[in-house]
Amino acid sequence: MDGKTANANPTILDRSDLPTRQPALTPESRLSPIESTVPTYPLDPFTTSPSPLSSTSSDDATPDPIDAQEIYDLVANITDPEHPISLGELAVVNLSDITVHDAPHSPFSHVQLEFTPTVTHCHLATVIGLALVVRLRESLPARFRVDVRCKEGTHSTAEQLNKQLGDKERVVSAVENASLREALRKMMLSV
Amino acid sequence: MRLNKLTSLTVHTDRVWQSQPHPTLPLLATASSDCSVQIISLHTFTPIHSLDSGHQRSIRSIAWQPNTPHPVLATGSFDATCGIWRYYPTTGDLGEYDYSTALDGHESEIKSVAWSAGGTFLATCARDKNVWVWEELEEDNFETLAVLQEHTQDIKCVAWHAEEVLLASASYDDTIRLYKEDVDDWECCAVLEGHEGTVWYVQFEPREDAKRLVSCSDDLSVRVWVRVEKFDGDKARPMSILRGDPVREDWVLESVLPKAHERSIYAVSWSPRSGRIVTCGGDGKIVVYEETPKTTWKIIAELGNAHGFFEINHVTWSRRFDKDGAGPEEEIIISCGDDGVVNVWVLEE
Repeated sequence: MDGKTANANPTILDRSDLPTRQPALTPESRLSPIESTVPTYPLDPFTTSPSPLSSTSSDDATPDPIDAQEIYDLVANITDPEHPISLGELAVVNLSDITVHDAPHSPFSHVQLEFTPTVTHCHLATVIGLALVVRLRESLPARFRVDVRCKEGTHSTAEQLNKQLGDKERVVSAVENASLREALRKMMLSV
Repeated sequence: MRLNKLTSLTVHTDRVWQSQPHPTLPLLATASSDCSVQIISLHTFTPIHSLDSGHQRSIRSIAWQPNTPHPVLATGSFDATCGIWRYYPTTGDLGEYDYSTALDGHESEIKSVAWSAGGTFLATCARDKNVWVWEELEEDNFETLAVLQEHTQDIKCVAWHAEEVLLASASYDDTIRLYKEDVDDWECCAVLEGHEGTVWYVQFEPREDAKRLVSCSDDLSVRVWVRVEKFDGDKARPMSILRGDPVREDWVLESVLPKAHERSIYAVSWSPRSGRIVTCGGDGKIVVYEETPKTTWKIIAELGNAHGFFEINHVTWSRRFDKDGAGPEEEIIISCGDDGVVNVWVLEE
């Protein structure tokens, strides 16, 4: 990071208090149940190779629907761009702000995730939002439409930010940008 | 009516952004995030040429230049350049496309490129909020005629009128703007407000006396706009040669088409043959509308999951050229999606 940080003293939650299905968080169990069944997936949400989730679920006539905890597990370990701390620990992502409507037999399924920037003027909110969009699009089956939004009242330019994150073309071109791509890669090292 | 799939072409290795049929020849060009353009025969639905050495980033938009002795293609890329490709015939084989020139000027991703009906002017637009109008003085010598800075945000689409020198642009700022040449300057002559989200695509009605245009948006609406003709003696007034006194046009909303989409509507196409409109979007649907009677639109066909679970980025009408087609009035619909596939559809009873 270049010099000043946006939030030098963020509030950090205790790792053991974070929502999980696991009895305790050990380094091995930090891999979500979904991820542990698939090979390492490159940071490229736009490869045309079939999603690991859809390929595993297509073997099964009635796939288990994906729930909010699984979405949380996919994003909670993304590292904050300016602290070596996860978005789960910083309460940037919270289980209660994830809504999933998974209907494998309708035209598409839907995930909405509202995130809470650590401070209302955080200039890194765009990068965090982008990381969440990219992570979910990369990991979820093609049937999912992903809406990542800044939680109402938590950021000074939330409306502008939400419009950008909702614009597929802007997200695709941002990810083609080498420096942004590198920033995202670093944030994803721990997922 | 029903949309039946005629064929499915897997010619790209990444998302396909757009496809454009040649104005007269049986050729289709497709633009993709794999940084290539594929040229496909509409006789046989097989790829003929691959143009893959011009751009380093996604090719977002393509346009065939009308009225050329051999095919000429413009490509707009996220690398901020517009490429001009020329076809050179060679004896004994298929000939080849050469990347003949790059038009530099935009400061960020080019989102759309469009040739005017006669092929004289080329318009490009980008995230840098500018529309550029270029004129080809002679082969590969392009002059910048105008840099139009009317929008306050990213510009998604540019489109020309089929006869008049009238240009439209659609933007992330939720508006559509129209421009025309006023003496030797280009001026914004109308602002179309009403959409409540990004306007993704705009097209004039494809006829020479067109007074209408169609647009589609993130607000899930498809709108038809119409020019209000003036009969108040304006024509008798001598044209002002002063700058800042552009010839204003009045455009108003004529119809909002029946709502059918559940996610962003990315493209709309108006058929010059049947007068029908087709749309596609993030919900994976293709929807066809018909106007009966005038200004009243109804949905005549709707197909979900047209590219499996994937989003559909573009849809266009084309004349049908393959051997099973019935004649020059028969048409097909071509769609392209995030699955990297180009699908060809026929509308049948």
